[in-house]
Amino acid sequence: MAIDVARPNISPPRTGSPRRTAAVVLVGLAAVAVVVRAADPERIAWLQNFLIVFGSLLIEATPFILLGAFVSAAIEVFVPTSTMAQLGRLPRPLQLPAAALAGIALPVCECGSVPVARRLASKGLAPSAAVTFMLAAPILNPVVVASTFVAYRGRDSLWVMVLGRMGLGFLVAVAVGWVIGATRKDDLLKPRPEDDEEHGETAEHDPGWARFVSHLSGDFFFMGRFLIMGAAIAAAVQTFVPQTVVGKVANLPVLSLLAMMALAFLMSLCSESDAFVASSFTQFGPAAQLAFLVSGPMIDLKLGALYAGTYSKGFVRIVVTTVVVVTLAGTLWLQVVFG
Amino acid sequence: MKRRWSPSRVWTGVVLGAWAGLFWFLLVSGRWSLYLSTRTLWVVPTGAALLTVATVARLASARVRRPAQLQSATSWTLGLIALPVVLILSLPPATLSGYALGRRSGFVGSGVNVSTSDISSGTLSFIDVAAAQSSKGGMEALRSRAGEQVTLDGFVWRQDGAAADEILLTRYVVTCCVADATSAQVRVVNVPPGRFQPDDWVRITGRIYPLGSEILVDASDVQAIPQPDRPYLTP
Repeated sequence: MAIDVARPNISPPRTGSPRRTAAVVLVGLAAVAVVVRAADPERIAWLQNFLIVFGSLLIEATPFILLGAFVSAAIEVFVPTSTMAQLGRLPRPLQLPAAALAGIALPVCECGSVPVARRLASKGLAPSAAVTFMLAAPILNPVVVASTFVAYRGRDSLWVMVLGRMGLGFLVAVAVGWVIGATRKDDLLKPRPEDDEEHGETAEHDPGWARFVSHLSGDFFFMGRFLIMGAAIAAAVQTFVPQTVVGKVANLPVLSLLAMMALAFLMSLCSESDAFVASSFTQFGPAAQLAFLVSGPMIDLKLGALYAGTYSKGFVRIVVTTVVVVTLAGTLWLQVVFG
Repeated sequence: MKRRWSPSRVWTGVVLGAWAGLFWFLLVSGRWSLYLSTRTLWVVPTGAALLTVATVARLASARVRRPAQLQSATSWTLGLIALPVVLILSLPPATLSGYALGRRSGFVGSGVNVSTSDISSGTLSFIDVAAAQSSKGGMEALRSRAGEQVTLDGFVWRQDGAAADEILLTRYVVTCCVADATSAQVRVVNVPPGRFQPDDWVRITGRIYPLGSEILVDASDVQAIPQPDRPYLTP
């Protein structure tokens, strides 16, 4: 399947003085600090709430982004291209499940898996397999399985939730990879103008560690800005939209599933903690809670920003559509069987 | 060819260093507890160490043969990445307040590390009491302790139409970070009317009574306390 590629967003170098821009940025940051102190957010409840949630999302996710950037840079510098090309030649029916199961080996949440998947694809792994890995890793890794177990321990639905999350998460990830199919990496990945700027300074004979640091820094700053934008949107939603808005549809068969998926999208929780929040929605049945747990680590506001910066526009549409459709089908089946 | 400092590499090193500094600050000052739970505390020293390594490595590789000029677009990106550091460091030490109550779901205790045996024996904690409210077994266990004295810390919240001497003693339960916070509340009666405002932190001592599906604490002593060092509960 072909994916329509967004026009590369390479703007010509600005003619304004770069030094003046740097000075404006520094003065702007200083002004923000002064305004925040002067505004005294404790007197403005919504602002305080927003800043705390925004800060907490970033403090938790930033080390994972950096960890992902470390892994990504290591793949770029130390793994030979031929290795990825060999893996890429495996038949797709074997490649996609193997990529999904490889997610078990990477105990990071969804933010860290995005730079790794990008690097895997740019290095020669089939893009469909890289995306399958990216979507499966935040659900299948042992930390997330354990946290789901703990969150539902003592409930009748314990094993439905733990095994259902693993099984359905695996299926959805493979399904997205299958839909992406034979799309080439150039059609899937957005170009990064910063790479040219950075690597223009990197000589071929530079030591491996210097090239490693270049890639590490490039990935961190690239992903970081999208993480910040996504976290800001998620914090705004958490500040202004009450979670109870979805409660009205808790007993409606299909709407309850869609409502919980929408809530997961808006809340943008880490996959290592979302089971505790899902389990608090007792008015919803296990199927709706499962929809929350499967779709949340694959599509949310924070990830949407990361995807938009990393992949072509068509990719986001494909991921959202496939995740929603397959998750809905799987959880509907569970709703019929388990109620 | 002689190596010279690359402005973009130096500035990326500085921004990485700012992030590293933020994580060290959170760790040393204890302010991590305003954003994370004890379960995810490990993220802070890990982040601090990784960011420090990245900063040192970036600055160590900042001398290049062909340094490029710092582009305006790069300056804006670096500013955006540095912005959260500035915001978090500028924010006074604050926690989620009562404002967030209407936007969050309630804590459900089943599945967390609270068993009926925890509830039926030993000192009753806020988590025990909150968890008991969400399970039949928990309420049964708590009934056997009706009339016992408890001491609970939390902040004051008032429900519309509640009696003047009644408050909802509230804590947030955080599993990973504040974004996943759920609220836990216990109804307290016999609180001196008008003495405490919403969001004030108090220590309640009183007798506990499970009534139907709800738990009530009849306060015998209510003291104002400063915000605890660890304001959020961890299940």
